[in-house]
Amino acid sequence: MTPARYCTECGSALGADDLCPRCLLVVAAATPAPRAARTLPTSEELAALFPAFEVGELLGQGGMGLVYRARQRALERPVALKLLAREIAAEPGFAERFAREARVLASLAHPHIVQVFEFGQAGEWCWFAMELVEGASLRRLLAERTLDARQALAIVTQICEALQYAHDRGVVHRDIKPENVLVDRAGQVKILDFGLSKVSGAQPGDTLTRTHQVMGTPHYMAPEQWERPGEVDHRADLYALGVVFYELLTGELPLGRFEPPSKKVAIDVRLDEVVLRSLAKEPERRYQQASEIKTEVERVGATSPPAPARVVPAAPVPDRAPSAPVGAPRTRAQALAAGLQARRTHGPSTATREPFPLVLKLVLVLGCVATLATALFFLVFFR
Amino acid sequence: MSREKIAEARRTRKGPVCHGRGERARDGKMGACRVAAAGERDPVPMPERVFHTTRWSVVLAAQAGRRPELEELCRAYWWPLYAYARRAGASAEEAEDVVQGFFARLLEKDDLAAVAPEKGRFRAFLRVALKHHLANERDRARAAKRGGGRVRAASELGLDFAGADERLALEAGGTSDPERTFEVAWARELLRAAVEELGEEYRASGRGAVFEVLRGELAGGGGDQAAYAECLGLSPGAVKVAIHRLRARFQERVRARIAATVARDEDIEDELAALLAALSG
Repeated sequence: MTPARYCTECGSALGADDLCPRCLLVVAAATPAPRAARTLPTSEELAALFPAFEVGELLGQGGMGLVYRARQRALERPVALKLLAREIAAEPGFAERFAREARVLASLAHPHIVQVFEFGQAGEWCWFAMELVEGASLRRLLAERTLDARQALAIVTQICEALQYAHDRGVVHRDIKPENVLVDRAGQVKILDFGLSKVSGAQPGDTLTRTHQVMGTPHYMAPEQWERPGEVDHRADLYALGVVFYELLTGELPLGRFEPPSKKVAIDVRLDEVVLRSLAKEPERRYQQASEIKTEVERVGATSPPAPARVVPAAPVPDRAPSAPVGAPRTRAQALAAGLQARRTHGPSTATREPFPLVLKLVLVLGCVATLATALFFLVFFR
Repeated sequence: MSREKIAEARRTRKGPVCHGRGERARDGKMGACRVAAAGERDPVPMPERVFHTTRWSVVLAAQAGRRPELEELCRAYWWPLYAYARRAGASAEEAEDVVQGFFARLLEKDDLAAVAPEKGRFRAFLRVALKHHLANERDRARAAKRGGGRVRAASELGLDFAGADERLALEAGGTSDPERTFEVAWARELLRAAVEELGEEYRASGRGAVFEVLRGELAGGGGDQAAYAECLGLSPGAVKVAIHRLRARFQERVRARIAATVARDEDIEDELAALLAALSG
């Protein structure tokens, strides 16, 4: 029998997992955690709270609150109904901040930003009715490994357009990450939760002190968001975009002393500079505008050699290109959609970015030929 | 590296120790874990999930329709019951029979529906119910000796009793009182399951290495954060956040598990205090 082991702190016998149960319980009981069993509103409650909507299934829930599929009765349009977490709404000064910021968010109208239609307060819930996007988040596409470099470029340029539009109007997203970037069925990128972190009054540093984790993973946060949360401007979004870009290209996060993307995957080396400059520690050394990143990415995309064994056209073709060949996708979105579709049709991992299998085949064939030749040699001369 | 070595390394705390593999840092490097962390593809933030706790009172009130939930609750807490039966004088085999029979009865008979659990706790309820069951079993066993038949309960819950006795000796060896043993075993089982669930949650979202490296922090920790940072390839700030998150998530898990065994949310704190008292005794 294994001898019993004891905790050096309190002397309790350790569990089979080598953890001291008493110390575990002290940690569990130490600080009041958020209410464990936060109850969801019932369908009757929802119907009473939102008479203008026909509330359907729960699409998702997170630190920010709950999202339902709904139908706006008057206009008969499908919407996503987002209910902000009650803990957030209960904070002092929230109502005024919510009303002020929500107006700004509702004023953002861009094809790559999820449109906020309406907002309000119902009971203890603050809510938004938003455009319903049928598609997948970048997180999911990343997990499925369904994207290639060219599609990554198409996605990044669309994110740039949305960011530039919002930044021009003084709105900073502050929480750009793959979960907040949706790609709809037509291949259109739609950015979610624009400025919502500001609505909720969250500062990035708040993650350490607040019970509801409003901000996302720290990996996408610009250094200044950690160090000087009060001084964050639109360049924090550009840093986060850099992280997303790196992840799109390599499938990994730029952690610690990371390698430039072209060292990890077969892509145009000129993209290294774009990604690395977006990821500069000092905001001054980054690109200063999202449109600059877009220009750089488009320039690389326009002059890159065609990707090996892929079906997506070589360059993002402008929307107004009348001379696009018949059957070729005419917009970036279409290119992206076509690429996703092709990838889905062919299965998730059939195409590879590197010509390694070809080399392998050659080596195998040469090996077989050499073996046969040797065998023949022996047969002929030593018979 | 074995658990023993990890535990030993933690105990002595000489320099940074990787909780994932128990390897001591060499020249400030922790290669293996760093690779493991870098290989993780999906460092998604843990979504704040709402736990769907099934109140045991609800379970009992609608036994017929809630059988799976009741089975789940039973399966989660068989070990304290076994511990009680053993300390009450049953042999290992008898204790197994008692627990299986007890659950079979709990799941099949209607007499439990008569119990009013609004004010009670699942823990206390199970302990008392088992006590009665044990007494009945003894009567029945005596009757069996006199010629009656003794039916061995079907192991329909698929409980695995292997190692139960060893665990009892290691983890609740300090007392011979059945009731106290039950309380200690209950608290330990609840915490063990919460840690296990948390690990599964982290692994499912591709952050298994983060959990493995930082799990020591769940029990107070005080480990070398610089070593964690090196080990996981994260900045010191990100390690702080990760530890904070892990603990917050653990608190939620523990409270959710407790919530399932008490009648009202307000009782959670009391139950936490009761469990702490059991483990401190």
